[in-house]
Amino acid sequence: MLEISDLTARVAGKEILNGVNLTVNAGEVHAIMGPNGSGKSTLAQVLAGREDYEVIRGSVTFEGRDLLAMRAEERARAGLFLGFQYPVEIPGVNNVYLLKAALNAKRKAAGEPEVDAYDFLALIRQKMKFMQMSETFLTRGVNEGFSGGEKKRNEVLQMLVLEPKLAILDETDSGLDIDALKVVSQGVNSLRDPKRAVVLVTHYQRLLDYVIPDQVHVLSGGRIVKSGDKSLAQELERRGYDWVMGAQVA
Amino acid sequence: MSAALRSFEAQWRARAPDALQPIRELAMQRFLKLGVPSQRDETWRYTDLRGLAAQNYDQAGCATTDAHAGAGAKNGHAALTLVDPQQHAATVTMLNGCPLLSADLPVINGIEINSIKALYKQDPSYLRRFFESASDADQRRWVLLNTALFIDGLYLKITQSVATPLVILHVSQGGVAQAAHPRVIIDASPGASATIIEHHVSEEDIAPLSNSNTHIALGNDAQLEHYRVYATGPGATHFDSLDIHQSQDSQCRQFTIALGGGLVRSSLEARLNQRGASLDSYSLLVGHQERHVDCVNIVTHAAPNTRSRQTARAIASDLSRVIFNSKVIVNAGANGSDSKQSCRGLLLSPRAEIDTRPQLEIHADEVKCAHGATTGRLDPDMLFYLLSRGLDRETAQSLLVYAFLADVLTGMSVSSARAAIENALINQLPDAQTLRKFR
Repeated sequence: MLEISDLTARVAGKEILNGVNLTVNAGEVHAIMGPNGSGKSTLAQVLAGREDYEVIRGSVTFEGRDLLAMRAEERARAGLFLGFQYPVEIPGVNNVYLLKAALNAKRKAAGEPEVDAYDFLALIRQKMKFMQMSETFLTRGVNEGFSGGEKKRNEVLQMLVLEPKLAILDETDSGLDIDALKVVSQGVNSLRDPKRAVVLVTHYQRLLDYVIPDQVHVLSGGRIVKSGDKSLAQELERRGYDWVMGAQVA
Repeated sequence: MSAALRSFEAQWRARAPDALQPIRELAMQRFLKLGVPSQRDETWRYTDLRGLAAQNYDQAGCATTDAHAGAGAKNGHAALTLVDPQQHAATVTMLNGCPLLSADLPVINGIEINSIKALYKQDPSYLRRFFESASDADQRRWVLLNTALFIDGLYLKITQSVATPLVILHVSQGGVAQAAHPRVIIDASPGASATIIEHHVSEEDIAPLSNSNTHIALGNDAQLEHYRVYATGPGATHFDSLDIHQSQDSQCRQFTIALGGGLVRSSLEARLNQRGASLDSYSLLVGHQERHVDCVNIVTHAAPNTRSRQTARAIASDLSRVIFNSKVIVNAGANGSDSKQSCRGLLLSPRAEIDTRPQLEIHADEVKCAHGATTGRLDPDMLFYLLSRGLDRETAQSLLVYAFLADVLTGMSVSSARAAIENALINQLPDAQTLRKFR
């Protein structure tokens, strides 16, 4: 589904990604871990199409298409979803309006008719209930005045409504208390499907107790330095990132 | 002496003295001494009036021939539909500053409508308190001229709670070598409340220089929602000043909407004179084509426990320029004053310009004063967020522009006025068709 090869990218003139190689197949959940500054968030943003991040080498294909040649909005409509680490507040743009516009943009690209207003509201209410979100969400601006936890729930809610083929969740677990973490994990697990894939970018192993990954990768210095199964995450938790980075030097 | 000054002086000499003569005399002498403001004057540094100063002006006429019926409805600068017909709102028309008070003027319970001229003929002393003493402050320069030369004006006395809005339709008619000085006094008795909408239009693209002044006096516990909507043609020059005086626990909500005109100078001076007085001022300043909008707000907290909020949103596209200067003054002894100034500017074109300057002058202790000003292009993080959800670029950009204005629009309680203003506003923004979808 996703094939990343030798991906090298610059942010503000500084090389942050330095030859990333990664293959994610349909049905899989991958976790990308790594210390602060290792390039995890940059990788997520580059995949989603942030324009001020400059790709200088390498290729990315998504379902056989050249992802890097597509604009951010085209990637989204093709089924890629980024859950932001810091979802931006947009006062004056209603949450429901954004969700509806996003869903319709995707449906239009797939040649489907716009969603019926009544059906749409029923869908939102169902997903909100699942994510244990308050009704006031419906009338508020996008992420406006939301707590950190509410913002993350909103990211997962959007993901559930848009049903992406590939979801990249950038530190969706950070800043969550244990109850919120369970709800968010439940949301991610509900999307697991042989036709879909999930990439979890995370700093801690905690989330991986609830969403069990098929593969775990360690990103350091802008490249993947170690890959393994879920036990790698547990070992990292026990021994710290220095262990991987030390092994790298040796 | 500039040509403009000479011509104003000639008008002054030509007019017959009336009951307000001492007040007028002082104002005219100050104006002649100080002259047309130049960019060396603090509040005029962004606005060049040299072209205007070189112009000879005649007094714009008050002839009512066909004007009443056709007021503002002839062309593209037609009046906005700020009130629904079913609201039964009353409209009073002022043509070049002269109130057209015919016998069929609607009667509104709770608002007495009078001509200033008729009133001061009866009782010259009654209206004196609504004329401020002549001041050298440069933001008041054109008020001096208005005081000296206005022919007639409108005096509204609000005596009780009035639910239906009253519209004052200011119609400018004539050429650029004429000048009009519309004057309005809104006097709200203690406990009274009303909504007054001043709507400025011109019959043609060009119009006389309009130098208007509105004086608002709110008694104890009085409440007023006041709008001034500038929707004149692109060749019109408009100087508009608003004075607000508030007594104990009075509340004023004021909306200044700049949607028209070529050169618009809009000032607001509010004095919170007694405890508990509260002012919410909203400004929506839209720069479009070559429009120049220069807005000055000065709010004085003159008593303890007074409250003010200023919310300004400026948008500039094409070659336009928008200036917003606001100042909050807290007088000595006005402890417990609470003020906020929020000004945001949005540039939609590389050749447009926005200048904002919030200022504070505090002479008291124990006050809460906050101010903030930002100007920029659309926020790239917001834009990326919307794009990453699959919205096309045009929709995402329009959505953010619309959201930018929402803080002011959602404050309006006259829904018909809000809808009409939104509509007119959208027409002056890029991607008007896309924007309509969000309404």
